[in-house]
Amino acid sequence: MERGEYMINAKELYRYIKRPTLIFIIVTIIMIPLLKIFNIFTTDTLIILMSFIGYAASLNIIMGFVGYVDFGHSVFIGISGYAYTLLIWYYGPLNILQHSAWGVGAFMLATLTGLISAFIAVLVGIPVLKLRGAYFAIATLGLDFAALYVVKSIIPALEPTKFMAAEIILERNMIIPKNYIFNAVLIAVAFTLLANYIISNSRFGVGLIAIREDEDAAEDIGVPTTKYKIIAYALSAFFTGLLGSLISLNSGGVNEYAFSLSHSIDMIVMLVIGGLGSIFGAMLGGYIYYWLYDMLLVRFPGINLIILGIIVAAVILFAPEGIIGIIKKYKIAGIRLRDLIE
Amino acid sequence: MPSIFSSILINISNGVIWGLIIGVSSLGLTELWGVMRVVNIAQGETLLLGAYIVIWLYTVCGLSPLLGIWISLVAGIVVGTVIYFLLLHKLIGKIEVMTLKVEMSTLLVMFALSIILSNSYYYWIGSEPRGLGTWSIASSSYIIIGGITLRTNEIFAAFFSVLLTISIYLFLNKTITGKAIRAVMQDSQAAALVGINPVKIKLLTSAIAIGITVFTGFLILLHEASITPETAIKYAPIAFAVVVLGGLGSEIGTLLGGVIIGFVYGLTKVIISYINPAILSDPFALSTAFIILVLVLLFRPEGLFGKG
Repeated sequence: MERGEYMINAKELYRYIKRPTLIFIIVTIIMIPLLKIFNIFTTDTLIILMSFIGYAASLNIIMGFVGYVDFGHSVFIGISGYAYTLLIWYYGPLNILQHSAWGVGAFMLATLTGLISAFIAVLVGIPVLKLRGAYFAIATLGLDFAALYVVKSIIPALEPTKFMAAEIILERNMIIPKNYIFNAVLIAVAFTLLANYIISNSRFGVGLIAIREDEDAAEDIGVPTTKYKIIAYALSAFFTGLLGSLISLNSGGVNEYAFSLSHSIDMIVMLVIGGLGSIFGAMLGGYIYYWLYDMLLVRFPGINLIILGIIVAAVILFAPEGIIGIIKKYKIAGIRLRDLIE
Repeated sequence: MPSIFSSILINISNGVIWGLIIGVSSLGLTELWGVMRVVNIAQGETLLLGAYIVIWLYTVCGLSPLLGIWISLVAGIVVGTVIYFLLLHKLIGKIEVMTLKVEMSTLLVMFALSIILSNSYYYWIGSEPRGLGTWSIASSSYIIIGGITLRTNEIFAAFFSVLLTISIYLFLNKTITGKAIRAVMQDSQAAALVGINPVKIKLLTSAIAIGITVFTGFLILLHEASITPETAIKYAPIAFAVVVLGGLGSEIGTLLGGVIIGFVYGLTKVIISYINPAILSDPFALSTAFIILVLVLLFRPEGLFGKG
């Protein structure tokens, strides 16, 4: 490829900005604080909505771009949740840090736990990413449970009187105001979405998509598949951990539920409904899943998740590319929507 | 010291019996995975279906579990057929070899099935523990063999597991239908060339595999005092470990894989409680199954008894 192709002129830049994905990301990041300021939704609701979008976007890196189905992604929520809680429990200065700067401190501490997640992802990923298809999915599931059982047996031994059944409830001086958590989560989600966008428009992202389409062919034409897969897995783990630790902070502590498959279910369902492999799909999936989850819970209490399962099965069977796949087929004012959504 | 020695023996023998149970209950999973490349993520929920049918027949209709399991077998075959037509036929009802993308789609469809089933249990059966009352493990009688106390229930489960595995092995290796299933497992296009209809075989396999899984579900009741919908979360991932360890599509291997995992589980439990009693030994011992799973996937992905 020649150098000149990378040069950006004004026309190119205009086309670049016209892409709705970036606008959608920016609108989301601006809209959510406005919804809070005008009290349209409660802070808790918005934190959950943001966590949904953020989880979907972070899983999108490994499952959407690289095409590796990861059933055990909740392991990173668990690891970083416990890491964050134990750090502020045992190291006083970090507890002071997380109270500082309206949530920026908490975000910085969450970044640290995200890095722990990413480090574990690299350690685990070097061997496990050699597996493909269902084997990878099963191995990640196994890792999630291995980590869960290890945590379940070791955490109570740390402080037998306080960490009963591996549940750590934060003490009063460790809890930070909801607004701080909101700010931290907002920053985290913004970073996650922008990272997704940058990846999808980079050489690295194209390499990941090549791996998804045909790994052997990608290897043959010179994509460093092993390296790319590990980086993608680590990034995915980093952003999941970043959000996961803040969400566990939001719930006032951490317990074994952080490792629960239901987090993996949430993430996968959002991606499948929205459409795998596009950041637009992941965000759309996040919004729709939140609406669906809430609506079903109110209208059909008890059987809400059964209906959700049926919807997921129907989407996979009849619209395998998700809502993005349906939208792509239509035209508006002569513009093919396919061209707009990357 | 005799006390440690006997505690090791008791834990290991219990572990091995539990291993036989998880081994035999993974047979359906290994068939489905081996023949159709469909990974039944809903394995735990399918197992619970069988257990719940037996409990329901016993507590509501007063039918003995020994008769109830046969009804659960029939129900399982029906459920397997329904699952095939509702969820799988559109994806795999063809002769061609599956691509990785189709494989992922089946994985996600079965995942949806597990969401549907497990929440159905929560809604219609509830999360309170259910058991077999006077048939349960707690009220079972004891036999003492060489200093090891064994429950008759568990001995029955062990015999049942071995018998069922042998009969499925004979069915797949000695009958024409079984050989056809193995042929489709090896190469569905070549099987079609010699006059086997792979789509019919896939339907049959899914009915048999889900049938066996539901049938063996009651064995959980012989090991656990009671079950809740949560029990599925304990059993499904272990079944994957068993199947991967044993080798895809190998019946004897799957049973032995279960025994190995059960043995390691029992041994770890003793060692952990000996080293540090503060650490909960049961969950820690369960994690060994997944460490074995990952190690096998890395160093011998075809499994111990699979044909690589």
